Amino acid sequence: MILDYLFRLRALIVLAVLVITFTALSPAFLTAGNLTILVKHVAINAILAVGMTFVILSGGIDLSVGSIAGLSGIIAGGLIHSGLVLHPLGVIVYFHTWLVVAIALAAGAAVGAANGLLISQLRVAPFIATLGSMYVARGAALLTSNGATFPNLSGSPELGNTGFLLLGSGTYLGIPLPIWLMLAIAAAGVFVAVRTPFGRRIYAVGGNEKAAELSGVRVARIKFWAYVISGACAALVGLVIAAQLGAAHPATGETFELNAIAAVVLGGTSLMGGRGSVGGTIIGAFVIGVLADGLILLGVSEFWQIVIKGLVIVLAVILDQMQQRYALRAAAALRR
Amino acid sequence: MKEPEFIIEARNVSRQYPGTLALDGVSFALRPGTVTALIGENGAGKSTLVRILAGIERPTSGSLVLDGETMTLNSVRDADVRGIGIIHQELNLCPNLSVAENIFLAREITVRGVVDKRRQLQQARELLARLEHPIDPSALAGDLPLGQQQIVEIAKALSRNVRVLMMDEPTSALSASEIAILFRIIGDLKSRGVAIVYISHRLEELLEIADSVSVLRDGRMVAEAAACEVDTNWIVEKMTGRPAGQAQAPEARDTGNQILRLDSLSLNAAGGRPLLRGVSFDVRAGEVVGIYGLMGAGRTELLECIMGLHPEAAGSVYLESRPLDGMDTPGRIAAGLAMVPEDRQASGIIQSMTVRANMTLSSLGRYVRTAWLSLAAEDRAASAMSTELRIKCPGLRYSIASLSGGNQQKVVMAKCLLTNPRVLLLDEPTRGVDVGAKREIHAIVRRLAASGMGVILASSELDEIRATAGRIVVMSRGAVTAILPAAEATAEALVVAASPSAGERRDAA
Amino acid sequence: MKLRISAALTAALFALMLSACGSGPQPPAKKLIAVITPSNDNPFFKAEAETATTRARELGYEVTVNSHDDDAHKQDQLIDVAIANRAAAIILDNAGADASVAAVSKAKAAGIPSFLIDREINSNGIAVSQIVSNNYQGATLAAQEFLRLMGEKGDYVELVGRESDTNAGIRTRGFHDVLDKYDGLKLVSRQSANWSQSEAFQKVETIIQGNRNIKGIIAGNDTMALGAVAALKNAGLESVIVVGFDGSPDAIASIKSGGIKATVLQPAATIARLAVDQAHKFLTTGSTGAPEKQSIDCELVTPANAGQFGLFGRK
Repeated sequence: MILDYLFRLRALIVLAVLVITFTALSPAFLTAGNLTILVKHVAINAILAVGMTFVILSGGIDLSVGSIAGLSGIIAGGLIHSGLVLHPLGVIVYFHTWLVVAIALAAGAAVGAANGLLISQLRVAPFIATLGSMYVARGAALLTSNGATFPNLSGSPELGNTGFLLLGSGTYLGIPLPIWLMLAIAAAGVFVAVRTPFGRRIYAVGGNEKAAELSGVRVARIKFWAYVISGACAALVGLVIAAQLGAAHPATGETFELNAIAAVVLGGTSLMGGRGSVGGTIIGAFVIGVLADGLILLGVSEFWQIVIKGLVIVLAVILDQMQQRYALRAAAALRR
Repeated sequence: MKEPEFIIEARNVSRQYPGTLALDGVSFALRPGTVTALIGENGAGKSTLVRILAGIERPTSGSLVLDGETMTLNSVRDADVRGIGIIHQELNLCPNLSVAENIFLAREITVRGVVDKRRQLQQARELLARLEHPIDPSALAGDLPLGQQQIVEIAKALSRNVRVLMMDEPTSALSASEIAILFRIIGDLKSRGVAIVYISHRLEELLEIADSVSVLRDGRMVAEAAACEVDTNWIVEKMTGRPAGQAQAPEARDTGNQILRLDSLSLNAAGGRPLLRGVSFDVRAGEVVGIYGLMGAGRTELLECIMGLHPEAAGSVYLESRPLDGMDTPGRIAAGLAMVPEDRQASGIIQSMTVRANMTLSSLGRYVRTAWLSLAAEDRAASAMSTELRIKCPGLRYSIASLSGGNQQKVVMAKCLLTNPRVLLLDEPTRGVDVGAKREIHAIVRRLAASGMGVILASSELDEIRATAGRIVVMSRGAVTAILPAAEATAEALVVAASPSAGERRDAA
Repeated sequence: MKLRISAALTAALFALMLSACGSGPQPPAKKLIAVITPSNDNPFFKAEAETATTRARELGYEVTVNSHDDDAHKQDQLIDVAIANRAAAIILDNAGADASVAAVSKAKAAGIPSFLIDREINSNGIAVSQIVSNNYQGATLAAQEFLRLMGEKGDYVELVGRESDTNAGIRTRGFHDVLDKYDGLKLVSRQSANWSQSEAFQKVETIIQGNRNIKGIIAGNDTMALGAVAALKNAGLESVIVVGFDGSPDAIASIKSGGIKATVLQPAATIARLAVDQAHKFLTTGSTGAPEKQSIDCELVTPANAGQFGLFGRK
């Protein structure tokens, strides 16, 4: 029974061990300032990972999130920096900041929708479909900016498009906005997963697609929305990064998908689908974030950082496997 | 040294599966040069017994004796080396390999480590010629019609110089002429001293080919006799455990209005082979309609068509006079249909979810308050249903994997009932379920019908059909061959109507 | 049967392809110069490619432009394509000092002269010219300006580029050859940000948590320097001195508005133009008239002279 609890809390235990280790080794680690920065860094990966959790729970995978983040940043950057040029009219249209944000989010959701249609209607394997859209979205970002960076996204009052940078650097009650965004997305994610029919159906689809369909779940529709959610989360991340840097770069977000998948897996969600939780994913994102920032504070070299991150992921997955075997044995014991 | 009387013997063999005891102290022995028919209803333990003899599974207790010596079979390869072969009910060919490659799979003829394709082709050709089927050995197995694939399976077993050969429904995919050839081959093998175990649902066929008959029921060996001493009546009696011809029909009761009507449902397999051929019948409120048929008769396909899982099917389904054409499965569930599927693990339960989540999956909309699920409402509904169906579980929040087969099945039924269906479809609802749970499920079915629900129960077990159904639709080869009221549905009548030849007769008509 | 038909089809296709190779595409009316650079999402390489293209067209060549994404395998394929197209010359910013030797040799064997720009290869006599900006000289230039701005003392942070990259190593060596002589300067953190702006942003945010009183940050390229500036601005530490490397337009704009304090400009445009000129001379006269290895010095950009520079070159 104790073993059961330890297994369930394994991600939290790993996190606690990391926090204690870094606190002991670096006086700067457990300070309000550092923790704020740390959570802000975690927010980027956590928001991506919440969207990814829905996709993985449904039995899929989304490799396109990093590229979607890059694309949404470039769209927002382009609209603020140089506006939308309507060629036949020779007019340049600038949008209000809120509208810019909405357009970029919609673009991310649209790429997610394309993923969803490919996977649920045309039955393309998720890995392949999102690998394709990963390239297409990255290429679209490069084409949009012609490979260049859109600098200086502070906007101008005459055009009514100021305030974008607040998304990255603004604070509310002394806490940076990206953290609030993460909290909101995480809360919404937990709520949707646990307390809505949609969330329950995602678990069902990932657990046993055939049984879900026979139970009246519209499998294709559920999968579609999982990818739309993931795309929108990725777009939000692209906006936050562009706002933090005050510049939008088309290569932003490369390899982000791997960090997001790592957070989901660390949080105990099964890559086979049907098992896991949004809360676990948030803890997983914290494990990765604490590890990265702690090692920087300790001045550990990049190469070691990569090795250690890899080891922690493998360790977490081994624990996950042990827990599943344990749970199976426990279930078998109950049956007798 | 005296030759042992038996080639192979199973002594007091038991096999425990989670939730069920598939074999209970069975002893079974094979003499060289004889054909033994192994008979029993689905779930009686026939397949488990031959799987143990073929080394695919290991017994929980008991021992195997080969040539008078106790031994253990740890793998199919082990059995293979000892000259024990099996031809499965489901075909086990690799469709992407050629016929010759399939025949010599894992025992390729090699010259210095390289496969000698020419010799393989030549030997395969000789084998197939012996089977009077000159199939091109270089053709891809997947391109052959089902009957020819079955022949290749047989060739595969023959190529191994077997001493013991087990055939699990080898004729289910064969035509009459192909069966005649198979019987000649069996005769040939007999004369060479091979011991053969033959499993089939075609009783006349069994009596024609077998030397002795062994009957399994609920995991026990209940009767053994020489084939010349018995008839089909005897077999049915031993199989079902009650005298043939004495139907134990549920008491006749008034049934209400027609609630479901099927109008010439037809369905073809991907290759064009017909799975359903113009199936029409109706279901009245308060009635249990049993669908009886052998494996491959089209029972499952019929229920799946009613649920809208095959949009390409022709024909119409009317629920309370309302046509359901073009409606998908969720739509039909909302309209008042629900189905308990045949394969519980693959399409009934969701292993990764809790008992409660499995139960409420089809009726989630009922527990929504404003925009979210009321866990309390969900819990109330699930506990009520759990009490009603007497589901034994450690708690609704536990994983469904912690339940026995029978209780898992009740959870699937609970899921269906929570949608308040007008018509409930049950496909082999007691497969892999122990005897106690089986009776309870039958009682539930009768109770539901009494409350005014229409029920369709498909089964390949005579017993089950006769314990529940008020009217019985018999199917063979995708077509309805008889519709009998319970009173007229003697075991014999059902078996005759269900036999594949009945389906063929209907073809001719 | 099916098998045999498909085998026959395959054989026929092969025959067709071989015969096509035999006759080959006709040599273009104009001579072709193939320009191959690492990527197209970096203004530095873009400037290289665009300058080379413009200059080659001026001289009457056809031009193809491709990028190898720092992937030696992809570079090899692009070289194959250039050979197949019967290019007259290849202008190449290569994908690794050792990994590129074979590809350049292959072009030479096919009779196509290569002119390397920006990065060298570890072999002499294969390429006709290897024209690089003097990264070491540039790094010492940046370090000297950093030293002056720091007043020769205080805590500082170094952001290194992708550590597997040759230039990242040369630049950090140049920095330290200058800075390590001064005891007053203390390197409190040295991290790789892989040339990336968002990575530099996050890493600097974390580093300043442990080192509140840093006085300066020296970065291996401008992108990382810009990320550092954004992080410092967020933390209200605008007074921290940031020095970059490359001279990108964004960095020059940042210098003008008081963000980055200095950078060194790699004359990418000058180098690309020079390489095309030498290719032209080689193709017309058989010699470039210059040694194979040529090193072009970098220039320091400060607020005082920022107005004089354009896209990786003086205006």
